[in-house]
Amino acid sequence: MNRKMIFVCLIAVMATVFGMSAQAQDDTETYILGVAQPFTGSLGTFGEDFARGIELAAMQMNGELEAAGSIVRFEIASADTEQTPEGAARAVQTIVQTTGAQVIVGPLTTSEVLGAKQFADENGVVLVAPASSGTAASIPNDSIFRVIQAPDVFSSKAYSRLAHDRGHENMVVLHIDDPFGNGMAEEFAANYQAAGGGEVAMFSYAPDAADLSSEAAAVSAEIASLGGNTGFFCICFLGDGQRLLQAAQVDPILSAVGWMGAENMANDQLLEDPGHAQVLAAAQFVSVSFADTSTPLTPLFIADFTEVFGDPPGPFTSNAFDAANIAMLTMLAVGNDGNAVKSMLPFVASHYIGTSVQAFLDENGDQAIAIFGIRQVKADGAAFEQIGEYNGSSDTLVYSN
Amino acid sequence: MPPSLLMNSIVNTIQVGSLYALMALGITLTFSVMKLPNFAHAEYITVGAYAALIVSQSGDIHPMMILTAACAVGALTALASHQMVFKPLEKQKASFYTLLLASFAFGLIVRYILYIIADQFSLFETRIRIPLEIVYRSQTIILTNIFMWAVPTSVLLVILLTLLLNYTPLGREMRALANNISLARVIGIAVEQVKRNTWLLVGGLAGVAGALWGLSTSVSPLTGWVAILSVFAAAILGGLSSFPGTILGAYVVAFSENTVMQFLNFYLDVDFGLKPAIPFMMIILVLLIRPQGFTNFFSWNRDFQR
Repeated sequence: MNRKMIFVCLIAVMATVFGMSAQAQDDTETYILGVAQPFTGSLGTFGEDFARGIELAAMQMNGELEAAGSIVRFEIASADTEQTPEGAARAVQTIVQTTGAQVIVGPLTTSEVLGAKQFADENGVVLVAPASSGTAASIPNDSIFRVIQAPDVFSSKAYSRLAHDRGHENMVVLHIDDPFGNGMAEEFAANYQAAGGGEVAMFSYAPDAADLSSEAAAVSAEIASLGGNTGFFCICFLGDGQRLLQAAQVDPILSAVGWMGAENMANDQLLEDPGHAQVLAAAQFVSVSFADTSTPLTPLFIADFTEVFGDPPGPFTSNAFDAANIAMLTMLAVGNDGNAVKSMLPFVASHYIGTSVQAFLDENGDQAIAIFGIRQVKADGAAFEQIGEYNGSSDTLVYSN
Repeated sequence: MPPSLLMNSIVNTIQVGSLYALMALGITLTFSVMKLPNFAHAEYITVGAYAALIVSQSGDIHPMMILTAACAVGALTALASHQMVFKPLEKQKASFYTLLLASFAFGLIVRYILYIIADQFSLFETRIRIPLEIVYRSQTIILTNIFMWAVPTSVLLVILLTLLLNYTPLGREMRALANNISLARVIGIAVEQVKRNTWLLVGGLAGVAGALWGLSTSVSPLTGWVAILSVFAAAILGGLSSFPGTILGAYVVAFSENTVMQFLNFYLDVDFGLKPAIPFMMIILVLLIRPQGFTNFFSWNRDFQR
């Protein structure tokens, strides 16, 4: 065989191989699932863990689709929301414009969700937010679906019940000045006072505050001026909670009253500092955490996640896993069409059993099943323990003992 | 306003003002000697805070060791920024704006490296492991060991820096560079060596400030960045050229953020959420009304003034 023949044969073989490959590619229909999470910022750890949960969901779904002989596959396109509303809008826009994705799992916080809302609404893009709960994003007929985490309208009722059960005659609230903090504080005050509570004094602080000592001093002075059994409710993120505890540690008033805190603060990291743990134990710090429950899928999810990524999933990662599954199941039903997904998603979600709780959406596209664990710091400050459960649907709070 | 609230705000003013002064002096020094408004300064502070955090986690370490480690790491980071970014750009005769952007870029790179490290080792929002203790308590005032570390250390370093600039050969050479770099070169000053020493000094101060800041709050990759606006406000109040002006500016900014804010909240119900607006307002007001800041308030120590 001369050189010319060899060359022709080589070309023929290559053409066949590439042709088959192209054929195989043509046979596959790829849906892009967007992931908009904060990979940087103080919630970056959550964002990365959420992204892994979504990746696991897509991996498992692709495996099942392949086994079933389906031609559909899911691919993930991620962008960093930078934990800001503007960053979230940019991230969603980037994913949509560069990949054609119509469905995005994220963003994480309510501020980010609201930041991306306008672009999503105007472009028929569906946002499936796994952990946002702020009341400001409870809007009917928009493109935002909060399929797992129940909105704060429920948890604020639970906090109100707890405040009354603890005999707090008045409350002082310190909250982050963003849609999550403002919404939760207002809902809580309304519920607490509607149930016969006394005065609610509110203080807000700026997100990313470098130092909270002035705010802590003002809260302390207010508690002293209200007198009696006044309680303190802190609606803040973990880092802010630490800064606040630093000031509370040496404040004779703040370290002697009862504390309640948003679920971001029900974190063992807060107990690593012995001084902070002592304050929280003395304050009988209590928090309301969503869906501290499990389903038959919970251990499977934890085992799969640990096997794939080497570490167990972090807090709320199961929400992202469930949100991704609901998004993909809906896309399998109606394709990569934002408007069709928007129409179909409530039906799919309401027939989905998640890793922590069943999804069932209300008229705002928010989770309507609201089961919360009540977690309190143990007397020795070593850990959190579950002391009860609150059912938002029936507004009942049951203590374990 | 209750006396305890007032006194608390004054104690906070002294503590925060001392730390702002330590941070802002580095910015003034960089601007005076290098002609660079260095936004990467925020990252020298953060790197110092992380160095302190990591050293503090390695056992029962004396605070002085922690501060020394923070100083060393901050200094090396600043020197690295000079060697890797600013010096090559200066050689290419880069404009003021290019250097400014480069400082942003270097800061961003360092910040995102810190994010990666913090994520890998779970070092977000972590406290430097020095237990908080009350060293003095009265009806109206509570002073902690953190206050006793932060304030005297800052004041001492500010005094030492002032002495260094006014009474040592290095200080004279730095002032010569600030006044006229070409002339300094002509009279035989080793310009590059002086610049390196200046960067080490700036980074060291920022590193110590970061460690002290981390002691009083917690450490995250944004530690320096969230403080930098107030720090720049202090430096601008000092006209970016006067050391005493910068120190006074630091205390004025801290006073506004703590005592004035407390008054506004107590008597006018102004939200603490507006606190970050205070340095912005001060910067705008100074630039509009008195762009030279406090520069001419001090007849001594005017060698950096142009």
